[in-house]
Amino acid sequence: MVVSHSRALARAAVALAAEMTQGQPVPIEIAAGLDETTTGTDAVAITTAIQAADRGDGVVVLMDLGSAVLSAELALDLLDDAARDRVVLCPAPLVEGLVAAVVTAAGGAGRKEVAGEAVGALAGKLAHLGGQQAPPPEGTGTDSDAEFVVRIPHGLHARPAARLVTQARGFDARVELRNGTTGSGWVPASSLSRVATLGVLPGHRVDVRASGPQAREAVDGILALAAADFGENEGEGDRSVPEPPARAEVGAGVPASPGIAVGPVRHAASAVPEIPGEPSRGAEQEHGRLEAATATVRDELRRLRAATAREVGEGHADIFDAHLLLLDDADLLDDVRARIDDGTPAPRAWADATERVAAEFDVLEDPYLRGRAFDVRDVGLQVLRTLLGAGAAAMPEAGVLVASELSPAEAAVLDPERAAGVLLAYGSPTSHGAILARTRGIPAVVGLGPAILEVPDGTPVALDGGTGEVVVAPADAVLTGFRERAAEQASRRDRAAARATAPAATRDGEALTVGANVGSVADARAAAGSGADLAGLVRTEFLFLDRDAAPDADEQEAVYRQIAEALGGRRLTLRTLDVGGDKPLRYLPAAAEANPFLGVRGIRHSLAHPRLLADQLLAFVRVAHDVPVSVMVPMVSTVAEVVDVRRMLDEAVARAGRGTPPGLRVGIMTEVPATALKTAALTPYVDFFSIGTNDLTQYALAAERGNAALAALADGLDPGVLRLIDAVCRGAGGRATVAVCGELASDEAAVPLLAGLGVRQLSVVPRMVPLVKDAIRATDLAAAAPVAARALDAPDAAAVRALIAR
Amino acid sequence: MTHSVDAAAVTAWLREFARLVAENKGLLTELDSAIGDADHGTNMDRGMTAVLAALDGEAGKSPAALLKRTGMTLVSTVGGASGPLYGTAFLRMAAAAGDADGLDAGSFAKVLRAGLDGVVARGKAEVGDKTMVDALTPAVDALDAALAGGQPLGEALPAAVRAAEQGREATIPLVARKGRASYLGERSAGHQDPGATSVTMLVAAAAKALGA
Repeated sequence: MVVSHSRALARAAVALAAEMTQGQPVPIEIAAGLDETTTGTDAVAITTAIQAADRGDGVVVLMDLGSAVLSAELALDLLDDAARDRVVLCPAPLVEGLVAAVVTAAGGAGRKEVAGEAVGALAGKLAHLGGQQAPPPEGTGTDSDAEFVVRIPHGLHARPAARLVTQARGFDARVELRNGTTGSGWVPASSLSRVATLGVLPGHRVDVRASGPQAREAVDGILALAAADFGENEGEGDRSVPEPPARAEVGAGVPASPGIAVGPVRHAASAVPEIPGEPSRGAEQEHGRLEAATATVRDELRRLRAATAREVGEGHADIFDAHLLLLDDADLLDDVRARIDDGTPAPRAWADATERVAAEFDVLEDPYLRGRAFDVRDVGLQVLRTLLGAGAAAMPEAGVLVASELSPAEAAVLDPERAAGVLLAYGSPTSHGAILARTRGIPAVVGLGPAILEVPDGTPVALDGGTGEVVVAPADAVLTGFRERAAEQASRRDRAAARATAPAATRDGEALTVGANVGSVADARAAAGSGADLAGLVRTEFLFLDRDAAPDADEQEAVYRQIAEALGGRRLTLRTLDVGGDKPLRYLPAAAEANPFLGVRGIRHSLAHPRLLADQLLAFVRVAHDVPVSVMVPMVSTVAEVVDVRRMLDEAVARAGRGTPPGLRVGIMTEVPATALKTAALTPYVDFFSIGTNDLTQYALAAERGNAALAALADGLDPGVLRLIDAVCRGAGGRATVAVCGELASDEAAVPLLAGLGVRQLSVVPRMVPLVKDAIRATDLAAAAPVAARALDAPDAAAVRALIAR
Repeated sequence: MTHSVDAAAVTAWLREFARLVAENKGLLTELDSAIGDADHGTNMDRGMTAVLAALDGEAGKSPAALLKRTGMTLVSTVGGASGPLYGTAFLRMAAAAGDADGLDAGSFAKVLRAGLDGVVARGKAEVGDKTMVDALTPAVDALDAALAGGQPLGEALPAAVRAAEQGREATIPLVARKGRASYLGERSAGHQDPGATSVTMLVAAAAKALGA
């Protein structure tokens, strides 16, 4: 029987062991966890499990660590003498021991022999690792070894590998992995590309070793992740998504970042990565690299195929079938393998072989077959990039960047000097790539479908990121039209900039404040330069991420003061740390969560780490004595959370010892739909509500904002979202200010709508401040309010857009 | 004998211990977050809350029955290593209490020592390992010494509390050699041990409930 802190761990270990004895089941009982999710051990439950497992010939008990051992010993005390004598507490490592024990027991061995084999199970691993890894010295516990078998259909491909790497990086430990089945070398678990090189296929065994202070936690975390199949089984399969409105080919997409761009098409995929002149690592390893790369690309293509079939129709998805077939093309693969066997490294072998095949298509008569050369080079590049661990290339030449979609990393290198605009086949306006494009002022249209990918490099294209309009190879007259609109927008921008620092009021005299969202000292300078009335959101995460210890109150205070100084006396809305399971802090390792966006994040995370929050509030209070400060609490879902934070804020005021700072205001972010609906109950405890429309939208529509397949769903103008914003305004009833600090506030067209609902403060990226202020000045509140009320009854976001465009 | 520790007194002791644990739940967890897995306060509070509920149905039972019920409840509800450790302590105390309706001072000291012996046997820890043994051992020794010196339980128990507190403070500079904290090695030094802290509360609860 198995005793473990974690029921999931115990079940997984048993499942693993049971695989060894198909057809000859060995009775295994589990006593693990206090319940399904609470870790812990229970001696009484162990006693019961021992009694259940004992068929008269005794029980071998395998335990994980710590209290599992103590509780098992105590359980023996609770048994009667005869039963106790039939129980062996076995000191073998849980997983190896269990596998060996089950196999031995299935062969009919008695409990002593079973326990002996279990203890001996570590010998195989010790011998296998030879001199590489001395057994950890008794009692220090700084090294851990374990293994897991990958059961997911495509092996440890990009997505599960990414989860594994994220998990491994969350601990203060050096974690290494190797493919125990192929006998690969050890690679750092912190490197996605290195983990990908392990080429872990279904059924492969992966060995884990770790050193450092949190070695054990790191290994436990990885095993738990593996036991949960790397989260791969969730969200797969049938997903009933309403059929999105039919989308044209190239011609109209989803507007993602306003502005006009004109320029030649530059495919992100057209840049050939440089192949380093390194020697072969040996044919076997190079074959492994190639397999890993094609497996990864295959998986990516399948994902794109599914998304395309769903969004734009089966007909457009065929192209991916052709690409998938190429990955299994025997001629191509035989050629690559032969080159690898001759001592060529996999990247060079792959590049040369694909070029040979493409060149053969090039010379064919049939135009359809000639077109396949494009496909071969396209797939060839994807695999080559994967082989080299290179992301999609940076933009080779100035123009309009065209890509399937942009990962956050790719979008981060978007350069406004080179990228006049961005056109994406997939992606959503709320994806990180689109948000970054907006931040940098690069016009973007997304969700154009795969047709855009087939437009040849260098073809002139014009786009309007405000309307979603895209024209390929525009006629001169069309081009002139776009250029005129661009010039008109530029002059409007100039006019807005000229009066940006003046306060903004609607035509009928209602004043609204426009703040800037700030995530660094540089942003704060940009905010002041943009004419923002205040910093409506200061993200403090940059102080906490990518370091080994939390900043103390002194360090935080110094940085907040720099931001305050850059803002020149404007109010700072300092948001408490907004992190969670999706971006864990190295020094506060968190358990892997199946769904981090619904997990311990925002204020939940801060209240779980009260000392961290206390330090941050102390730094806030100290700064608040010298400049006006608003404290903003993210991800609030209950009144109790606000009460807790207010109590801790009172303690921080007492700790600072200078009384309550004069301009101190307290507010929360409304991101959770339930919170929006509880506004009236929350109002007595806050001075303001700031609606984070990005998260509110994804929670309200149950559509993750990064998920390209759901781009059409996650729209902040959805009437359901607007009703939640309306609920906040009505719940606050003028007793607390209502602000919007999400992406929706940057949408000039949405400004009258928000003002009409009762929003009185907007906080946007610094460069949008002048335009948003002008949008306020152009608003007639008396006219906007009834339009906003009608929008609440609209059937969908498109109808809302049509309504406010009038 | 001026004092007899009967079922009512044992109940009062356990209730006071539960109150102290609940009141200091945050402190215990905070201490544990420095060198352990940040659950000692939560775990002990969950356990003692369950004990209080269980005691409601045990009115009129003997001290041994109450102690046994406490031990079994802790074993099933605490979860962490303190479950089997405190559980063993109370189960051993129950065995040492026998079936008497009341315990005199000397018998109570023996009961407490049986608890200590149980913890030592279960955890294989000794004084200096930075565990609950570091506080409980001097407390039990001080209790024995004070009783041997002729002091009544009402004075001997406060002496035991002082000894426990000293033992608890002495864990601060120690490097942990048992439990999860031992993985931290040298870095466990400079932190007060949460187990030594909670077991000091157990002794303090005895002084308050039994020493009057």
